[in-house]
Parts: sequence; C-alpha cells; structure tokens
Amino acid sequence: MKKMLLTGVLLALSGAGAVKVGVLLPLTGAGSVSGQAARSGYLLALDEINRAGGVLGKPLEVEFADDGSSPAKAVPEFVKLVTVEKVDFMAGGVSSATSIAISGPAKQYNTFMAWIGAAAVPVEDAFADHPYFFHYHPWSYYNFEAILGYFKTLKTQKKAKNIAIAYEDGPFGSAGIADTVAAFKKAGFNVVMTEKFKTGSGNFGPIVSKAKAAKPDIFYWVGYDTDALPLATEIKQQNLQLGLLYGTPPSWPVGFEKNKLSDNVAGLSLWLPASPQAESRKFVAAYKKKFGTVTEEYFAPLAYVNLKTLAAAINKAGSTDKDKVAAELARTNTPTPFGPLTFSKSNKTQYQGFKAGNWLHFQFLGDDRVPVFPIRFAQKPMVWGK
Amino acid sequence: MELFLQTLLNGLLQSGIYALVASGLALAVGVVGIVNFAHGEFLMIGAFLAWALSAYLGVDPLISLPFAALAVFGVGALTYRVSIRHVLLAPELNQMLLTFGLGILLQNVALMWLGGNTRTVTTPYQGSSLSLGDLSVGGPKAVAFGFAVAILAGLYAVLYRTTLGRQMRAVAQNRRGSQLIGIDVDRVYLIAFAVSCALAAVAGVLVAVLLFASPTVGLVFALKAFAIIVMAGLGNLTGVLWASVVLGVSEALVQTYVPGGGGWSDAVFFLLIFATLVFRSFRGAR
Repeated sequence: MKKMLLTGVLLALSGAGAVKVGVLLPLTGAGSVSGQAARSGYLLALDEINRAGGVLGKPLEVEFADDGSSPAKAVPEFVKLVTVEKVDFMAGGVSSATSIAISGPAKQYNTFMAWIGAAAVPVEDAFADHPYFFHYHPWSYYNFEAILGYFKTLKTQKKAKNIAIAYEDGPFGSAGIADTVAAFKKAGFNVVMTEKFKTGSGNFGPIVSKAKAAKPDIFYWVGYDTDALPLATEIKQQNLQLGLLYGTPPSWPVGFEKNKLSDNVAGLSLWLPASPQAESRKFVAAYKKKFGTVTEEYFAPLAYVNLKTLAAAINKAGSTDKDKVAAELARTNTPTPFGPLTFSKSNKTQYQGFKAGNWLHFQFLGDDRVPVFPIRFAQKPMVWGK
Repeated sequence: MELFLQTLLNGLLQSGIYALVASGLALAVGVVGIVNFAHGEFLMIGAFLAWALSAYLGVDPLISLPFAALAVFGVGALTYRVSIRHVLLAPELNQMLLTFGLGILLQNVALMWLGGNTRTVTTPYQGSSLSLGDLSVGGPKAVAFGFAVAILAGLYAVLYRTTLGRQMRAVAQNRRGSQLIGIDVDRVYLIAFAVSCALAAVAGVLVAVLLFASPTVGLVFALKAFAIIVMAGLGNLTGVLWASVVLGVSEALVQTYVPGGGGWSDAVFFLLIFATLVFRSFRGAR
C-alpha cells in the first residue's frame, strides 16, 4: 500500500499524465512582434489556469516552439511537438504561410489544433476537412467585410467616394486584391488607383505622385509595418490631401504612435488596451501585474483566450479525448476581451471563432491608438482630413 | 507634365540614398578588391545606432551621424583584422562566402538581440518638403542626395589629392608593386575597408530617418548598391552617382508609367545590370 502511494506521489510530482499543449509561434523573424505578444498571452493564461487548479486535476504544461516565421522551420518544429514531445493539443499559429505548411502533418497525425492566427483563405482551404481545427482569428474576408462596412459609413457621413489602393506584391497584399477592388466598386466607390509595391523598399514617391493625380478621399494600403512611416512621410512631403490614410499591417512599427507623421493614420485591430469590455479591462490589469507594461498587440489577448478556452473545454470534457474536447470547445460561449466567443461555421471550416463584428477601427491620435469605429466603442470622434 | 516632372524628381531623390550606400561598397571593391556582401549589415548597424541614440538619449540622427560613422569605422577595422585580411589572397569564392556569412551572422545577432520589430526615428524635419511650383522636394531625401554628392566628391578628393589616396590607388592597381615601394598595404586595406563600413553607417543613419531600422533593412539597399557598382564599373567612384541616378529615375518611371510597375522595381535593376554587362562585353569585343 505504501509502495503504491509512493508511486502515485512520484507520478504526480513528475508531472506524468499531465495535459501538454504544444504552442507553435514565430518567436523570431518577420512575424515575431505578433509571436512574442502571443507568448506573453499564453504565459499569463497558463499562470491563471494553474493557479485555479490546472487541468484534469494537474498543472497544465505548455511547450513552446519557434517557427522562425518560416514554413521550412515550422514543419519540423510541429512534427517534433506532436511526435517527440507527444503534446495532447496544439495551439498557436500566427502566420498563414507556416500554417499552410503544417497542414499536411496536422492531417497525418490528426492533430487537435486551437489556432489563433493565419487569416488567409488558402489556410481555410487547407483545413476545410480537418475535424479538429478551431480557428479563433477572423478569416481575411471577415477583415475586409469590417473595412468595407467602415468605408460605407465614411461614404454616407463624409461623402468619401474615391479610393486609392496600394498593396504589397507578396501573398499578403496581392491575394484577393481583384475581389477587393470589385467589392469596393460594387459598394459604389470609385477605385481611382490600384498599385502594387515592394514591401520594405520605402520607395513610395511614384505611388504617392500617382495618387495625388487621382485625388482619392481614402488611401487604403495593404502592407507591413516597415511601410508605415515611409508612406506617411511621402504623403506629407508631397502634400497629398486625404480624408483618411487607412492601413492593415499585422503590426505597427515600435514607437510609430509617438511620431507626428502617424497622426490621423487609421487601422484595424481586434483589440486595443482601451477596449471598454469588462473582460478587456481585467486582461489589461492582469497583464500589467505580470509584465509591468501594457501591450498594444491583439495577439496577446487572443492567445490568452485561446489557452483559457481550451483548458476549460478539457476540464468540461473530463479527459483528453479529442472528440469530447472538440464537442465541449464547440459549445464555448464566454465573454472575452474581444466580446463573446462562440464557434460557428465559416465558409469552409466547421469551427470559426471571431468574425467581422469583432474588429475595431482606430486612429493614431496624440500618442495613442484610439478606437473611432464602431461608434459604440469610439472614444473620440474620427478625424477626417478633408 | 507635372506628373512626369515629379516622377523625375522622385527618381533623382531616391538615387541619393542609393549613391550613399553604393559609394562605400565601391570603395571596398575598388581598393581592397573584396565584394562585401555584409555591406548592408554595416548599414543596419548605423541605422540601429541612430535609432538607439535617438530613442534613449534624444540625440538627433544628424548629430549622431559622426558618432555612428566612427563606431562603425571601428567595427569595420576589427572585422578586417579578424576576418577579411585572412582571405585577401584566397580565391574570390572564399572571400564571398566569408562576407556572405558575416552578413548572415550580423543579421541574426540583431534579430536575436533586438527582435524582428521595426523601429522608427522621430525628427521634426521628417515630413518637411520644399515646394517648387506644383512639385515637391522631400527635405530628408534632398539632404541624403546632398550627402551622397559631398561624400563622393570628398572620396574623389582624398583619392586624387592626398598621400593616403595615392597609396590606395597604388594598392588597388598593384598590391605587390606597392609593397615593393614601401607602402604598408595591410594598413591601407584596413583604412579603406573601415571607411567603406563607416560610409555604410552614414547611409544607415539617413535610412533610419527616411524609413526605419530593422535587422533586415540593409538587404534591399545592398542589392541596389551591387547593381550600381556593376553599372558604374567595379571600383569606379565617379560613375556611382550617375549609375544611381539612372537606377533611381528608371525605377520611378517604371513605377509611374508601367501598369503594376511597383512590382517591377526589382526587375528594373536586374535588367539594368544585364544591359550594362551585355553592352560592356559588346564594346570589349570590338
């Protein structure tokens, strides 16, 4: 009896039988701003989960792996987590390119995936028939739906009619650009310029000159953080008169809000520290207590929600059986910093979390990102430049 | 007509940045005879120094410029002592592999140390511009162009009007002959390589003001600089400015007047290299 008790204690202390979640993130490379933010969110959630008793009566274990923002690195890291570390569930995933790359092994090992990023439609195609794929981040068509909704409001309220589009020539900017233009036209806008650019080149002189000749009300750019300041600088230098400069980079440059050239630049975010929801305020307070700062990156609360909801579903399921956990996660209905989270079908996947209605539109005003739309979340009136 | 003139102006201003980056590379190729694939990473160090001094000490990048140049001069001298000098007599492939590896090392050290975040510098003159009728000239780009002209003129003066410059030209022409007449070849190489790195840092400081600082910022400009020194003729300093103007204006014209031209800007410089090399070989054959 004593021997059995001792074995049981040793087993519990060694953590054997504990639930393991593998988290694949871009901790280095181009996507590292979002990846590092997500890691902080996971660590905060892990603290809270284990303080509250863990999962299935044991401390939850999280195993982080760095995909280096590269599909070539993501695949072996994913396979290692699943086969060597033998994680029970996989979470994380920021980049679309890395998520597509691991779709093969994910199906091969029939991996349970609670995925936070990867908004591109090809990822949706790749995981369309995967029975354990829970996607938290809105798909790109939901993002565009939110943008179009905002622009339609600007059309009504500010008489915005002409849109100039500049997009980076990689998959992020180029995929679906024809549909974007068609959707703007269908909504009654004149698309007066559609130009591609090399991201990171900083060479926006010719594009801004062309835009100036086309006289747009809204300048909509799809690119990365590296393009934000050069574009804003060129627009200011060439004195291009706009109603709004609106961008959708996955992250913004560090310190951009402190630069005067960022004034009135607008963008899209799932969340801002100033978001008024009670869950958001709780998250900000907990984050500040743990890390001493406040993050502006929405991947931090997204990762936090991801792990908390996964842990709750495992506890409700009472085991790590994938079908039981999937059934419980599918029933999720919980308040989050982004608003309530429930899963429903998207165009092609079974379990889609956040959708178009969760997006916030903000402007850089003063030294902050301030929500300006939807109106119910607006903290200041939007500044229209014309 | 206004769009055409503004396009020419855009190209001309862009060429100033290209010339700044290429001038240092031309010096390394022309004097030391080494193709430095890490040139963009020395630019990156300059950009980060400007950002760090601005973000933490509030120093304006234009004031930090000589400090960045001096610091990277030191890094360049150390790099030469530790690595470059040991491969100068090795096959060119080994030299290229060394500098290529050095570039990857510096980039990854920056990624590990500073992360992949893009950093921006804030100055009161970033958005400044000068109006010429309906045309506008961006202030920082005009300054960069002025720097490029001044640096190239200064380099030319040093090469043709000073003892060190004569030594550099002698070493570039004939290493062994220079040793025989008592020139300390190793010292000349060290100075030339370190000055080349310092020039990359100067370009980096201006790139930080104009664009951003990030671990990968040097790559784009290093590629353009290679195109420029090929167009100018390896080691030809005076040709660097003209080649930069040709590249900058060609890119601007393609971006403005070719449908989808923004995606063709990389192709423009490869096309120019191709055309230059074909033209040179054709002229050489005659």
